[in-house]
Amino acid sequence: MIDRISAPVSVALLFDHSTRRVVPKWLIWEGRKYPIVKIGLHHTYRKGRTLYHVFSVTSENLFFRLVLDTDTLHWRLEEISDGEAN
Amino acid sequence: MDKILFFNQKESTIMHIDLNSCFATIEQQANPLLRGKPIAVAAYATDYGCIIAPSVEAKRLGVKVGMRVKDGKLVYPDLVILPPDPNKYRNIHLALRKLISQYSNNFEPKSIDEFVVNLEGYPAFAKGMHNVAAQIKKRIKSEIGEAITVSVGIGPNRFLAKLACGLHKPDGLDEINKDNFLRIYSRLKLTDLCGIKAKNSLRLNSMGIYSVLDFYNSPLAKLKAAFHSILGYYWFLRLRGWEIDDVVFARRSYGNSYAFPKPFKTPEEIAPILSKLVQKMGFRLRKAGYKASGVHLAISFRNGTFWHQAKTSKRPLYTSVEIYKDAFRLFVSCPYRKPVRDMSVSVFGLIKRDFSQLDLFEDVPKKEALAQSQDAINERWGSFVIAPARMLSSSEFVPDRIAFGGVKELEEFVNAV
Repeated sequence: MIDRISAPVSVALLFDHSTRRVVPKWLIWEGRKYPIVKIGLHHTYRKGRTLYHVFSVTSENLFFRLVLDTDTLHWRLEEISDGEAN
Repeated sequence: MDKILFFNQKESTIMHIDLNSCFATIEQQANPLLRGKPIAVAAYATDYGCIIAPSVEAKRLGVKVGMRVKDGKLVYPDLVILPPDPNKYRNIHLALRKLISQYSNNFEPKSIDEFVVNLEGYPAFAKGMHNVAAQIKKRIKSEIGEAITVSVGIGPNRFLAKLACGLHKPDGLDEINKDNFLRIYSRLKLTDLCGIKAKNSLRLNSMGIYSVLDFYNSPLAKLKAAFHSILGYYWFLRLRGWEIDDVVFARRSYGNSYAFPKPFKTPEEIAPILSKLVQKMGFRLRKAGYKASGVHLAISFRNGTFWHQAKTSKRPLYTSVEIYKDAFRLFVSCPYRKPVRDMSVSVFGLIKRDFSQLDLFEDVPKKEALAQSQDAINERWGSFVIAPARMLSSSEFVPDRIAFGGVKELEEFVNAV
């Protein structure tokens, strides 16, 4: 089941200077904490001049599409899925 | 000539790289929960949406490009359907482009998921084509995404490299060269050759050519007679490993098209969509520094009929308002009011905007400056922030899409980042 939403979400993002990698570690959505176990893809896009970073990640059994607005540094959760058909 | 042109004896230097099931594979890369499952990217996730990219797993079950979503679900009820996410695919394309450019400057993207690389004269060539191909495949997995696989074909010319690329999918690595071409030709059908489909196959059949080996062994005169054109000569060279496809065609037009999700037929319903198509196209035209000499409008109707018309303008077209006026005139001149399946609008006769012809009755520099200011605002704050009022009801239509074989569109994207 794939759910397209647009909800505010809390995300902990770690920058490791030794590997120069930026990794979201966990997110809190609707009061529940989900540790991130895998990053599928990180990509970017622009809307006007605003740059958005998109992290496609999974917790133990859920997929999340997390979007960071680099103007506000606010995160939104845009998609949640369990990998099954609707 | 027939007697002296043997198969090209030079070493293979061309590599054709094809990202397997591009959009679906990238979606599986992004969402690890989808890996190993039959999924498909469809233009629209609704029943009548067209499947544009089934995953390798879905293809194995019989899901094909061009199927309706409901037909795909008949083949496999649990098929996961996803809408396209062009930004995701463009990012992967750029990452691939960056990786490939480290081996050769002489490369060309043929579409969002295909690259042709020529290693001739580059240090990487000394490592051996197969070693470089294997290294590229390995680096794609480690640097771009572990779920992303590419098929690589190697050959002395572009055609044979592409043919080799299609021999084993997914994740193949094959070469067609002077030593094995006859063996490979002997197990292919005419329609396995890129560029030979039903009609060309019939043409060849009519000359007694039924297999790829027949095709290869045919004298030039016979091929010229089969194709009634220079194409016969091109095929004569291609099949012998000589380069004939190393041609980059200059851009001659800008266009945008849209497949209607609903059977619209009245001008009130269609004009907002036409306006949006013109806005997108006009922005691209101006950004590239061109004006145009005329407009072309093509409409396919749901009953399978087609209508198109072109109009050359008295003055060069620059602003979207000017283009829309001509496009709308063409639209109202269409004698049919039938439900529309898809519509495409384009401008042709491109003129570099080095100077503008002044006009006694119109302030041309002011008009052009206004169009440029609108473009600058839209670029800064997002597409269609300033748009014609007639476009208001079109927000749900004409979303961002990647054109099939859209090499020119990719150039615009690469230049923008």
